[in-house]
Amino acid sequence: MQPFAYVRPATLSEALTLLDEHGPDASLLAGGTDLVVALRNRTLRPKVVIDLKRVAELRPSISDEEGWTTINATSVLTDISEDQRIRARYPALVDAAVTVGSAQIRNRATLTGNICHASPAADTAPALLVYGAIANVASVRGTSRVNLAEFFVGPRQTVLQPGELVTSIALPADATPRGATFVRITRRRGVDLATISLCCMVEATGRTQFAFGAVGPRPFLVADESGLLADLDVGDAAKDEVLRRLLTQASPISDVRGSREYREAMLLVMSRRALRLSIARLAAA
Amino acid sequence: MSIGTSERRSGGHARVTGSQKFVADIGLEQMLHVRLVHLNCGHARIVSIDTAQALAVPGVVSVLTAAELPQPMPRYGPVFNDRPVLAVGETKYHGQPVAAVAAESKEVAEAAAELVRVQHEELPGVFTVAAALDPASPLVQEPELRPNDPLNHTNVLSERRFGWGDVESARADLVVENVYTFPMITHFAIEPHAFIAAAEDDGVAVWTPTQNPFQMQRILATVLGLPVAKVRVHALDPGGAFGGKQHPKYEPLVALLALRTGRPVRLVLTLEETFQEVRRTSCEIRARTGFNRDGTISFQDIQSDFLMGAYADIAERVIDKSNYLGCGPYRVPNSRTVVRALFSHTTPSTAFRGFGTPQVSWAHESQMDDAARKLGIDRVEIRLRNLAGKGEAFLPGDTPADGDWAVSVRKAADAIGWGTALSPGRGRGLAVAVKAGATTGASYSIVRLHWDGSATVLAGTSDMGQGARTVLAQVAAHELGIPHEWITIVMGDTATVPFDLQTSASRSTVFMGQAVMRACQDIKAQLKQMAAELHAPDAPVVELLRARFSAVRGEVIGVGSYRGEYQPEHPLGGAPSFYEFTCTASEVEVDEGTGEMLLVRHVTVADVGKALNPQHVEMQDEGAAVMGLGHTLMEHILLDDSGRIRNLGALDYRIPTTKDLPLEMHSLLVENADGPGPYGSKGAGEGGLMATAPAVASAVTEATGVVIRDLPLTPERVWLAINEKDA
Repeated sequence: MQPFAYVRPATLSEALTLLDEHGPDASLLAGGTDLVVALRNRTLRPKVVIDLKRVAELRPSISDEEGWTTINATSVLTDISEDQRIRARYPALVDAAVTVGSAQIRNRATLTGNICHASPAADTAPALLVYGAIANVASVRGTSRVNLAEFFVGPRQTVLQPGELVTSIALPADATPRGATFVRITRRRGVDLATISLCCMVEATGRTQFAFGAVGPRPFLVADESGLLADLDVGDAAKDEVLRRLLTQASPISDVRGSREYREAMLLVMSRRALRLSIARLAAA
Repeated sequence: MSIGTSERRSGGHARVTGSQKFVADIGLEQMLHVRLVHLNCGHARIVSIDTAQALAVPGVVSVLTAAELPQPMPRYGPVFNDRPVLAVGETKYHGQPVAAVAAESKEVAEAAAELVRVQHEELPGVFTVAAALDPASPLVQEPELRPNDPLNHTNVLSERRFGWGDVESARADLVVENVYTFPMITHFAIEPHAFIAAAEDDGVAVWTPTQNPFQMQRILATVLGLPVAKVRVHALDPGGAFGGKQHPKYEPLVALLALRTGRPVRLVLTLEETFQEVRRTSCEIRARTGFNRDGTISFQDIQSDFLMGAYADIAERVIDKSNYLGCGPYRVPNSRTVVRALFSHTTPSTAFRGFGTPQVSWAHESQMDDAARKLGIDRVEIRLRNLAGKGEAFLPGDTPADGDWAVSVRKAADAIGWGTALSPGRGRGLAVAVKAGATTGASYSIVRLHWDGSATVLAGTSDMGQGARTVLAQVAAHELGIPHEWITIVMGDTATVPFDLQTSASRSTVFMGQAVMRACQDIKAQLKQMAAELHAPDAPVVELLRARFSAVRGEVIGVGSYRGEYQPEHPLGGAPSFYEFTCTASEVEVDEGTGEMLLVRHVTVADVGKALNPQHVEMQDEGAAVMGLGHTLMEHILLDDSGRIRNLGALDYRIPTTKDLPLEMHSLLVENADGPGPYGSKGAGEGGLMATAPAVASAVTEATGVVIRDLPLTPERVWLAINEKDA
């Protein structure tokens, strides 16, 4: 680990001023489960680490405001998986959140950090995408909101500009009946990074969305508006054809976690399974 | 009392509460911190090393390269003196240290290590068995290191042949021939290797979590040109070792640094560096087995090639032990087993729990299954038809089968529900394996019975989690007739405890157990004499001691030893003192869509002679079984085309977690008091992993119809095999 200055602002405006001042020399610390590893491995060498845990406006909280469920920047994954509103409204997000790391990691790691780290394999990204989440962004220049579907640029890259940070993630609270499922393939059952991950959501209207992780430079969202996928009377072969079309955007690579061929095959296998389960969950909703 | 009861683990509380002191917890006054410098490539020629910038960093005390070391470069190893203290002229594998920085703090050492400029040129390397055997490949080892070896112009360190009967003319109704591969895996002890050295009087003291303090002492004395008595090895209880901490690694380097700087130095490896330091031998095994129609074996013809890495370490012993029992625990009329240890530009391999047995049993057990399927014989039945009976000389001229092994097989079959109906998608497998237990070497113990009846036991064993402290205390308590709690076991300091060959090969309970027992018997003889002298033949021990020592003080000292004699003609240098026999049975459920596997039930049976501490033995066998699931299901070191480790670290080298455990696990024991250790015990603790792979793979075959001969059985590999079958 290379020496760095540590600062712990108490307010958002202090944090933003510091971030503005140090720009690319600063790293933000929330849970630290990605940052500390990078510091230790010297893959990140910030001059300043800005600890966000004491920033009053960013304290852990999950709140309902104007039709949005808002999850503050320092809320950890355990907060999310244990919150009754989240469990009721966004079960697939809970399914995803509980696969991140281990119990110890989830007690430290934040949802916002998982998103801002922008790993193509970020477990919570596909669920947040199908639920239509947005990121609330702030800088010394003001605030903005970014649809998560436009947030990811590439591996470890987001649309955030120097001086900007995400203050919260918000999900639309006004849910039409829907069934959603998060699934992934890993090399082992406990604590693993996804070889592929996906989230499927079937709405009562018949609209079906899929979001995919670990199969391209960024997690991405696609939709079938035809209603065909959700239709109980349509056969598997016809559905496969639609799924294959949705999957054309996926561009998996071969790496230590799996070959391109395996990932491509698993995308289809797991999409079918997630679709079936989502339809069943919609029926039960 | 004590023997056969599950006494609480000595040191267990400290381990689970984090209060145990490991080498990395030790700090000495004025201590320097060391960081190794390595290149991010495999085989490379070192053109030049510029240490000026690193030396200029405030706080840097020394930057050591090959040029600063004595010439010729000191080389060392448990058998061959081939490993240099630092890379000379070239790096032979990804991560071989080319320099070492010693600084006032770890951070300074890290920063300075990055400033050591190593100009180098990548060279083609040998990373596979095929490349090692290709005469066109580069030579890994300089021929002058083995001047009298006719193989010194090849990448073969040694080739061993063993067998009996006549394989060529043996007739068989069925011949099965297949090639099996076993992956490179790493030990993954939770405690990474750590080393401290300090000049002491006119010698050196070293702190290291070694399984083998006396070999360490001998090798350090040789490298440093010191008398053995001037090298003191503090062997702290390792936090897991599994063979990976058996032989010297960077101890000579830290010792030389300490002597050069005149300051104590400490090196704590990262997990990544341990991957680059030690591993298990990977191998390819070509097995040709002849069977008679009734399933009995006619001949076994096995050719194994072990890719051992850049230095010999203990590889020759690994291949010998693997090859000697290449036919497994079976009655085989004709056998020919040939094995080679091959150099490669990869991490040097070393001892690893099971020591060559999991590799060869993967082959001989999968062959049994293949034959059973082709002959239409039940897979358990075919094993029972071939298993050596108790007392049978299944290895001509050697120690006969020392257990009723069929009992273990039946026990495992019953526990897994062999022959009962299976749910869809599920299969069962059962496999056996046998390992030659420790052969030669001595263990000594000194037991001091104090005037109040309590005792101190000196034993050079390493307690690396297997529970040696507890079991040795149980033996002493039982023999001396005193409570377990009155005994202190002292280990791990070569200046205090007498010689022990090593803590390996499941030998400690048998060898050191016997030494402790004999030391106690020595004490008992002295007590008898004392009782006679005091005319109190029936006095309790404590009264005798008080009577004898109250005025003049003193204690009773007992000495005990146990040794296996060296037999130069024996392929292993000595007969196995016992066999470690295991039977594993597993039931798995395979998801044919994804290749993912769920272990529904997993059973191991260990023939241990006598379980001195049943809970410890079960825990050891259970731990071994879980470790075996690693190389069976997920563990493998992956190399790129230039020999770089692609999955360097915990993120992409996966070991089983608690969530990967079988839904049900059973560790069963067979106890017939037929071992050479105290109270009829045999060595234990490796068995659980020796037959894991063939048992699980056999279950996968029953579930899916596909046969996989390469490990690990990753979901992708299983899926691919299923897909190819369907295509």
